[in-house]
Order: sequence, then C-alpha cells, then structure tokens
Amino acid sequence: MSTRTDTSSEMVVAGSFEGDLRRYLRGLGGLLVFLVVWWVGAMTTQPSYLVPGPLDSARAFVDLFTTSTAIVVPVLGSSLVLPTGLAHLAQTLFHYVPGLLLGAGCGIGLGLAMGWNGALDDWLRPLVRVLRPIPPLAWVVFAIVWFGIHHTGAAFIVFVGAFWINFYGAYGGVEGVSSDLTDAASTLGVERDLSMLKLVALPSAAPQVLTGFRTSIGRCWMIVVGAELFGAPGVGYEIINASNNLAMDTSVAYMFLISLAFLCMDVGFRLLEGRVLAWR
Amino acid sequence: MALRSNSSTSRESSEKITIQNVSRSYESTQALADVSFSVAEGEFCCVVGPSGCGKTTLLRAIAGLDDPDSGSVLVDGNPVSDPGLDRGMVFQEYALFPWRTVRGNIRFGLDRPACDCADCEARVRELIDLVGLEGFEDAYPKELSGGMKQRVGIARALAVDPEILLMDEPFGSVDARTRDRLHSELIDIWTQTEQTVVFITHDIDEAVTLADHVVVMDADPGTVQSTFSINLERPRERTSPDFVDLVAQIRDELGSPVETTV
Repeated sequence: MSTRTDTSSEMVVAGSFEGDLRRYLRGLGGLLVFLVVWWVGAMTTQPSYLVPGPLDSARAFVDLFTTSTAIVVPVLGSSLVLPTGLAHLAQTLFHYVPGLLLGAGCGIGLGLAMGWNGALDDWLRPLVRVLRPIPPLAWVVFAIVWFGIHHTGAAFIVFVGAFWINFYGAYGGVEGVSSDLTDAASTLGVERDLSMLKLVALPSAAPQVLTGFRTSIGRCWMIVVGAELFGAPGVGYEIINASNNLAMDTSVAYMFLISLAFLCMDVGFRLLEGRVLAWR
Repeated sequence: MALRSNSSTSRESSEKITIQNVSRSYESTQALADVSFSVAEGEFCCVVGPSGCGKTTLLRAIAGLDDPDSGSVLVDGNPVSDPGLDRGMVFQEYALFPWRTVRGNIRFGLDRPACDCADCEARVRELIDLVGLEGFEDAYPKELSGGMKQRVGIARALAVDPEILLMDEPFGSVDARTRDRLHSELIDIWTQTEQTVVFITHDIDEAVTLADHVVVMDADPGTVQSTFSINLERPRERTSPDFVDLVAQIRDELGSPVETTV
C-alpha cells in the first residue's frame, strides 16, 4: 500500500537559520537602542533619582545577590537566610504559588462543571456575570479585614485573579467539545457522564485549559505586585520600600527581577505545554 | 413497506435491522416521514438520496444517537434506545480523537469495561494490518491524510467487533482514487467479518459498487422512494452494461439530478 507518501512533510524551510539570525540581531539592536535612550535620559535628567541609569540599576541588581536577608517561612515559622533578591522573591512566591494553584484548581473545577452541566450553568451564569468584572485588586479591602495584609491576604487576591482566567479557559474548552467526538465515544461504549468528561471533554478542552493557566501565570504577577504595594512582603513591597528611600535604582532592579521570574515560569510552562499537547 | 429480497445474498438472511414507520422532524423540516424498510443479516445496504432527505438522521436513529418522534427502530427485534457496542459507527468527518494516536484511537472501544479481549494489543495490531496502517501506529490524526484517517475510523469501529457497521458518507471527503481503493478494502473487510452494513451516500456509483441493496430516498419530507437489488458479481466493473443500466435506473428514480462521481 502506497499511502505512506501521504504523510511526507512539506515543511522544508530553506534558510531558516539565516532568518533566525536576522531576527536575533534585530532584537539585539532594539535592546541596544533602548539602553542608549535610557542611558542618555538618565544622564540628562536632574535630580538623578527621577531616572536611575542602566549602570546604577545593574549595580543595584548585583547588590540584590551579594547581600543577604533573613525571612520567615510561613506555616513552618522557621527563618531562612538567602541573598536579598531571592529572599524577597521567595516571600512573593509564598503567596503567589498557593494563590495561583488554588485559584487555578477551583476555577478549572467550576469551569468544567458549568461547561458540562447545563443546569448548573443556568443557576450560576448570572452570578458569574456579576462577580467576574470585579478587578481582583478591588478585593484587597476584604483581604485586609478577613486575613490581614500578609501572605494569606495577598494569596487571596492572587486566588481571585487566577480563578476567573482559569474558569473561562475550562468553561470555553468544555463547551467547545465537538458533538461528533462525544457521539463517537458513546457508540464505543462510553455510557456514564463522568466517563465522557474524563475520556472526551477533558482531553479535548486541555489546550484551552492550559492556555488559561499560562495567561494566569502572567496576570497573577501583576496582581501580586499590586497586593504587595498595600504591604504584603515580597518584591512588590520592596519596589515601594526602595522608592521611599529614593533608591530608585533598587526599585528598577526589583522590576527586572520580576520580569526575569515571569520569563522563567512562562518559558517553563510553554515547554510543558508543548509536550502535553504534542498531538495538536 | 417491507422491502427485502433474498435473492441477492447467498447467506441465510433474517431481519437484522427493522425500521418501522419512523418519523422525525427538526423545527420546520420533516427529516423523516413514515420511513420503513429492513436490512437482512450480513447484508450490505446503501441508502442514497439528495441532501436533506434525512439519511444521516436515519443512521443516527439506528445508532441510538437520535430518537425518532414516532415509529421504531428494531435491531434483532429489540427496540433501539441507546448507543451500543453492537452497532459501530463511522463518521463523515472521521471524528477521531485528536489527542490519541492511531493505536490509541483504535484501542478506545477496547478499553471500555464492556469489552474483554484476551490480548488487546494483538487485536489492535490485527486491525492496523486489516486497514493497512502498518508503520503509523504512533501517528496522531493531524499527521494523516483523509483516506488514512477514515481507515482509522473504520478500524476503531471494528475493534469492538460490532454486528452492525453504520457508515455516514465515510468517503465523501477523500479523492476519487483513494475512494476506489477504500471501496475494495471495505468489501474485503465486510466479506471477512460478515457484518451487516448500512452505508449512507449521495453517490449512486458508490452505492451500486458496494451494495446488495440500494434504498433510494427522497427529500422534504424524507421518504423511501424505492429499493433496488444489486445482483452483480463483485468486484464490480463500473463500465459493465449492467452496472451502467442500474445506475441509470436509480438516477431516473431519483428524478432530480444528483451528484455522481465521474
């Protein structure tokens, strides 16, 4: 049978290495231009704290890793000494990670349930319409009165942010499951609703669920910094703290630290996503 | 009208599928109006008709995926209410699970608790051989051509060894050459498995190539117009005078022009 030729790939991209190199160099050029503009801006602005220069900021960034700070690990209560930058990053992660994971878990759970169960959808849709537009940071007042503005309060705000993004990812994913696939599954012996959810709806919705989660990784970094501006410990708090001392170069160093942390998580998750969704 | 002729099949025929006065309407259109016919055990039955004649609705009713408004569908004399492993279905747009490999798709029905094959891996290998997909066991559907996808669809339906194979315009989106090859492979498989096949198509040539019986339907409302027995030796030559004559008869019966392959 000669069908094997049917799958022969037509994707032979000529000169893709040169294309990559060109894109790489252009990107580098853009960064350099930005650095020069920043440097000139810093040189010509007085007083100097208004725009800290790239060199001062780089020095402040290095300082984050040459000094060390002791932090308290929540729940365990033990104290931990780390390079200052990592110490404050760890403080942020102490509420970022639980907030993100719990929010994503609950959001995906409710999204799947509502997308799959029409009655539940009827019950909750109006409520979702009302609650969904509230910006997560607006909940900060309740975070403060319920939990106090510390790790738990900040985690709560991150939870709210992660919840909705993941909710919509899962909800849309399950709603979009093709009826052809569920029909095929029922002719192949899938009888119970729960089996259909597990065997067809979930894998079929996986791409949207994962996209929702990846979006929430970034959104929660914005939210977490917002929450820390109100006083929860972590990198966001350090940005404010440094600026109160007019150490704007340290603020910039923390801003880049956040950017770096987000980049690492995003790239890591994309790799994972690519492996899980190899079938796409 | 119960339309059945024993002359075309050498096998002992008894009624496998009985459709009795089935009607089904969707909003303003009457997809099926009082449709009755039967399919004998081991028979290859093709249903032809223009789009909108309710042939897909009919197939879904036999599969248990769609309930008629009135009338009944009987399999072995028992009314159909739900889908079951005794009726396998092959879909027009393949409906393969894109997250499962060829092997995983074929295996899907075997992994349901209902089935107890002694060695499921061997069964999957056997099916992959049967439909000629050796070497593509670990490919995902996106990597396959239309014809290959439908081979997977057929193997997946055959895996649980259904007594009835329901096929909804399965070769509608593959090119003519591939379709010819799939036709002869399907006849080979059917000869081996001795299943009862209901095959929906709008292509008269395809129906006459494959079927023991051709049920001709009319649209709006969907009714059975007539039934033809095809008593030609297999494999059938499309250029033979008998073949051409039958195609012409069916086309006359359909009246309005219906799409055929050249």
